[in-house]
Amino acid sequence: MTTAAQKSRAVLFIIHHSSFRIDVITTVSTATSPSITYKVPRRRHPLLQFVVQQPLGAAGLAVIVIMAVCAVFAPWVAPYDPLTVDYAMMLAAPSWEHWLGTDSFGRDVLSRIIYGARTALAVGFLASFIGSTVGAIIGVVSAYFGGRIDLFIQRVLDVLLSFPIIVLAITVVAVLGKNLVLGVDINLVIAIGLPMMPKVARVVRASALAIRELPYIDAARTAGFSDARIIFRHMAPNVVAPYLIMVTAFVAQAILAEASLSFLGLGVTEPTASWGLMLSGAAADFYQQAPWMIVFPGIAISMAVFAFNLFGDSLRDWLDPKIKL
Amino acid sequence: MLRYMINRLLLMLPTLFGVAVLVFVLLRLAPGDPVQMMLEGANVSQQVVEAERARLGLDRPLYVQFTKWFGALLNGDFGVSIWTGRPVLYEIGIRLELSLQVAIMAALLAVMIAVPLGTLSAVFKDTWVDHLVRVISIAGLAVPSFWLGMIIILFLLTYFSWIPPLTFTPFFEDPWKNLSQLIWPAVAVGYRYSAVAMRMMRSSVLEVLQEDYVRTARAKGVHERLVVARHAMRNALLPVVTVVGLEFAFLIGGLVVTEQVFNLNGIGKLFVQAVARGDYTMIQGLVLLVAVFFVMINFAIDLLYAFLDPRIRYR
Repeated sequence: MTTAAQKSRAVLFIIHHSSFRIDVITTVSTATSPSITYKVPRRRHPLLQFVVQQPLGAAGLAVIVIMAVCAVFAPWVAPYDPLTVDYAMMLAAPSWEHWLGTDSFGRDVLSRIIYGARTALAVGFLASFIGSTVGAIIGVVSAYFGGRIDLFIQRVLDVLLSFPIIVLAITVVAVLGKNLVLGVDINLVIAIGLPMMPKVARVVRASALAIRELPYIDAARTAGFSDARIIFRHMAPNVVAPYLIMVTAFVAQAILAEASLSFLGLGVTEPTASWGLMLSGAAADFYQQAPWMIVFPGIAISMAVFAFNLFGDSLRDWLDPKIKL
Repeated sequence: MLRYMINRLLLMLPTLFGVAVLVFVLLRLAPGDPVQMMLEGANVSQQVVEAERARLGLDRPLYVQFTKWFGALLNGDFGVSIWTGRPVLYEIGIRLELSLQVAIMAALLAVMIAVPLGTLSAVFKDTWVDHLVRVISIAGLAVPSFWLGMIIILFLLTYFSWIPPLTFTPFFEDPWKNLSQLIWPAVAVGYRYSAVAMRMMRSSVLEVLQEDYVRTARAKGVHERLVVARHAMRNALLPVVTVVGLEFAFLIGGLVVTEQVFNLNGIGKLFVQAVARGDYTMIQGLVLLVAVFFVMINFAIDLLYAFLDPRIRYR
């Protein structure tokens, strides 16, 4: 027989017990200043959360967005056509007419920088995306199968990793030549993306190795799912964090690589506007008289890389601080 | 330890063999023909081209070419440059001193800048010192070294009317002249290099400062300066060593472009020229040497690790 007192004690116990968790959260605020009510954290939009928690990263993102807008709407943003040669205005200093001056062909430097953003972003994004995606798939596959397959893939990656990025990229460019698809040199993209692939594969493999041991992979295997399904549906989604981080980090590297290759005359070729290209050729001969010819494109490269680095770093801190690149 | 070393050395062989195969096959897939390229504009008959190809052995099947090249390689013979007709190793040898010197100077500069600044940044975390150092290092990662080189030349030209000399003066011939020539490319390359190391130093010191032995040292009443210099910095150097070593191997990449800017006739320039000329043997030799260099440095870093940190034991 249960008495009323027993009942109420039991109820009290339950209340006490269930309120325990709330207690832990609210003690501090209620104990120090009981008048302040405890605020339940609202779920904010992830983008807003990112902006608040990572102001520097948000600044980087802002620069990237501005660059992307300039690149997409280049014909409307740029004051001049980037290819129009104007011999009357050769090597003109920055003025109201030409904000950043003109080059040795009388072409407007600002317009060429704006159009150059197209090249830089297109090549940068594509190279990083392709390199990272292929790398991530290889990394997950390598971790999933393990054993000999893993060992073999790792040795192949070792081979690719023993080239400096630019050396491998130059060799590939020399081999593949040019291949324009929709105005983008797809072979250049491959040449820049290839050296990134093994690095992403390494990092993703490490993450995937830990996932492979988790019960839900065993469960999926027991359920008789195919290897492909487990790899793409169960493992891949869980390595998205390192993948995203590496994609952004490598965009910066890809932009640098594109600039370097174009500077060497092995990347984008005249008359297409590219920041690296603007620093080479005639610029080398004239830059004492017309320093604006090299100063501004270099600033453009630096700012783009800076923005992507900033954004990438913050993204890492935000998503998963443990990942080391 | 010895077993570990032998194991590691043996593991290098398949990697290097892979590099050799990869470069060889990649180049043979290239659409350009080095002989055509070399004789371009010389208006020679097809017969001459064929004869030249036969002389260079380019008309043989791929595997024959490869075995011949690789066999010679095992005897330390890197072959003869298709373009200049001189041995590949000779061409590399006369330029190696310059590139290596710039690389070493850049590495020294980087370490000299990165270690103290990275430590300062960590010790004064979240103060203006830290912010300043971080801005310097993030900027260092963003500025392309060849552009920095151009800006340096522009600056020197404008204010000191200094132009990059056309010829290289070896260090032992005239150290002063040599240093004044190579210090600027070293700065241009070293800035980026130091930025990488600086970031590593900062995060590494921050990590070490959380360790128990640092707390113990502080609790013992050791002066904070000594805690940082003796306990934190020494232990924090380990990952920095890795980064500096790895970056050193990759420095050759940075030099490829920067040497063009400073008109230095080094390995980097040789590589770009070889690619532009389709000089197969030269590209193969250079890439392979870079890879050997890289793999050896990796190996050296691992050994250095054990030396610097007695807790690490290899089996």
